[in-house]
This record gives sequence, C-alpha cells and structure tokens, in this order.
Amino acid sequence: MSSGPGPFERVYDAHVVPIYRFIYARVGNHPDAEDLTAQVFVRAVEQLDTSRDPGQIAAWLYRVAQNATADYWRAFYRLPLVGVDHVAPGWEPADESGPVVEPDERASVRVQALLRRLPDHYRRVLELRFLERLSVAETASAMGITSGNARVLQYRALRRAALIGDPTDG
Amino acid sequence: MADDERRDGDAAERFDGYLDALLGDGRPSPEAVGDRDEAEMARMAAELAASARTGAAPDPAFLEQMRLRMRAADSGIDAVRVPPPVREAEAVPADATRRWRLSRRQVLQAGLGAAAGMAAGVIGVSLTGGSRRPSTLGDDAPLVAGEGFWTEVARLDEVPPGSALRFSTAAFDGFVVNDEGTVRALSSVCTHMGCTLHFRPDWNDLRCPCHGASFDLAGRLANGRTKWRRDGAYPGDAQAYPLELPDLVRPEVKVESGAIWVWTAQA
Repeated sequence: MSSGPGPFERVYDAHVVPIYRFIYARVGNHPDAEDLTAQVFVRAVEQLDTSRDPGQIAAWLYRVAQNATADYWRAFYRLPLVGVDHVAPGWEPADESGPVVEPDERASVRVQALLRRLPDHYRRVLELRFLERLSVAETASAMGITSGNARVLQYRALRRAALIGDPTDG
Repeated sequence: MADDERRDGDAAERFDGYLDALLGDGRPSPEAVGDRDEAEMARMAAELAASARTGAAPDPAFLEQMRLRMRAADSGIDAVRVPPPVREAEAVPADATRRWRLSRRQVLQAGLGAAAGMAAGVIGVSLTGGSRRPSTLGDDAPLVAGEGFWTEVARLDEVPPGSALRFSTAAFDGFVVNDEGTVRALSSVCTHMGCTLHFRPDWNDLRCPCHGASFDLAGRLANGRTKWRRDGAYPGDAQAYPLELPDLVRPEVKVESGAIWVWTAQA
C-alpha cells in the first residue's frame, strides 16, 4: 500500500530492543518484560508525537518505560498504582535531547560492585543461584549445606544486598 | 536467636516462591513478597537475575507481533487505541453475497489469524465489486468503515444464548457470540500480543492462551486490575491481569431471516 514502514513502525524498530533491555534489567524476567514493553509502545501509539526529534522520542519512551516498571514494583510494595501517564517522582531526564545511557552496562557494573561488598558466603550463594542459575538443591550441594540452610542464606544475602544498594536508580 | 532462625526459615521458604518464578523465567507474583523489605529484596533479585543475562534478547515472536500492532497503528484507523462503540444487532437489508464459515474444529494458524484480525476493519481498501456503506456514527466513527461487505457467518440457531462460534472471512477472524440474546461479532485476536482467543463456556469469556487475558462477550477485558479489584475476584481467574487492554475489535452485525451477518472491510 505504501512504501516502507510508517512512523510508528520506524519508532518501534529503532527503540524496541533497547527499551526491552531497559525493562528486563529492572524486572529480571521475560514475561513481565514483554508486558511492560507492550505497554510502552501502546502508550506511544496513543500519545507520542512521532514528528518530534529522535532524541525527544527516545527520552519520552524511556520515561514511559521507567514509569511502567515503577508501577510494576508498586504492586510488590502494595502501593497504589500511578499509571504510566505520570512521571515517576525523582526521575526526569537530565537533558531531553541527550543520549540515553546504555542501561545494561551500568546495571552489570553495579551488580558486580555490590557483590564484592558482601561477605563471602553471601556472595557465593547469590552467584550460584543467580549467575550460575543453580537450583536451591544444587546450590546447597555445591556449598555443602542443607537446602533449608541454602534458602535462609540466599534470603539473608538478598536482604543484605538490598540494604547496601538500592537496586533501581530511580 | 533460635526464634530468628525459625522466622527467617519460614520467610525464606515463602520468598523462594518468588525466586523460583523469577529464575524459571516465569511471572513472579507479588503474593510471595511479604513486606516492604522483601519488596526491596525482590527488586534486588530481579536486577541480579537480569545482570546475569546482559543483553538478553526479546523473543522474536513477541517482536513480530508488536510490529504488526505498530503497522496497524500506522495504517490510520487503529486497532490499538480506538475501540469502536459496542454495536448491537440490528435489522438491515442484506446486500452481500458471500458466505465463509470456519468449522468448529478448524483452527487458523495463530500468526495468520493475528494478521487477518488486525487488517480487518483497520484498513478500508477499495474492493472491486465491494459495496459502499455510509458511515452512520458521526464522531464515534466505527472501526469498521469505508468499503467492505456483509458476510453471512452463521445461522442464528447455531448460536444460542451463552455460546460463541468461530468464523472467518477473507479479511477477518472472529467469533459471533450470543450474550443473553444480544448477538455480537468480536475479533478473535487478543489486543495484547495478537494470540488467538478461545471461548470458555464455563466463564462466558474469550480467553487468551498466551498471558491469560479474558474478554467478556462485549469485548472488554474482564479480568483487568481495575475491574478485578472493584468487583472482587473475577470468577474465571485467580488473579488480576496486570495490564489494561483495549477492547476487542467489534465489527457490526445484523440478524436477518435467521442468519447472522458480519460487516468486514476488505483487506
């Protein structure tokens, strides 16, 4: 019918993968990352002016993605949802036209720094569970402890990690 | 100290439910998270899980389905954002000549179904021999507008109250439903990611097999957060669907001489 993709498809093609990664880095699982990414682009169709310049479009998409993930976590905190329309408090792009920081790199560096600050057995249990993706039973066996102890250990390690570093930069 | 051990043991066991879902790449539920501190831990866990898979790629099927939705939006009238007003069955003289039917067993390949449902009613392309239908809805412009035709999709007696029947035309893949005497046509394409919906007679809804969205027989999301919270637990579902979704595409229908006709634009 027409030649080449339309404006929404172009915006989508340019941004969907980095937006997806941005969200995935914050929710840690694909089903939720897909839902939230879909939410961002549905919102784009409703509200985004595709004639804005590319930097503004990127900043707008990241802002909506940030709000969508903030709302996602609000459910875990039992907080009322604000909806992706609203700007999350404390989060504004420093410069709407500026380049967006690559989120993957930053998150990974932060996680490494955080793990280094944990006591050895805490770091070990998190590495086995999250980086090696071992089950609780496998983790327990690798550390020579019971599964019950491994569960408690990962629980305490996460509690300590959460105290050291706020996981989101919001 | 022993009390601490026991308390942590119980909490750790429950919280492991969150971690199991997260690390199994399922959808973690807030239910496993007890308090604010554990919510902080859940966020930390999510970031740890994500960091181990830096650059994790989205599912190509997901990307393609979303692209179809963007393309539909680019096409002008738009299945993503403008649900049409609900149109009830009305008696209008028949002027169509075609009849396609999908047998109850026949199943369209999901991707094709998504594309067909998206195109139907979204794009009004001139069809040689297609009939021109005047728009009657003013500002509430119907999704199905422009050029198309009436297609007979079922006999009325095949769709008793509380039932639904799959049909397919060249341009559209959907259900005719009988919602306590009101006949409607609804797209069979979920407005989330384009999966093909299934009718569940027990719950009187159209259910998405992909992520569990349920649509009522008026085409509205039945188990969304708002509705689920306001009306108590949606009977067909244990928990709220996490997103609000647009209504299903609803082409116009008419009942005439014991037959159900659906208006579809030509793709």
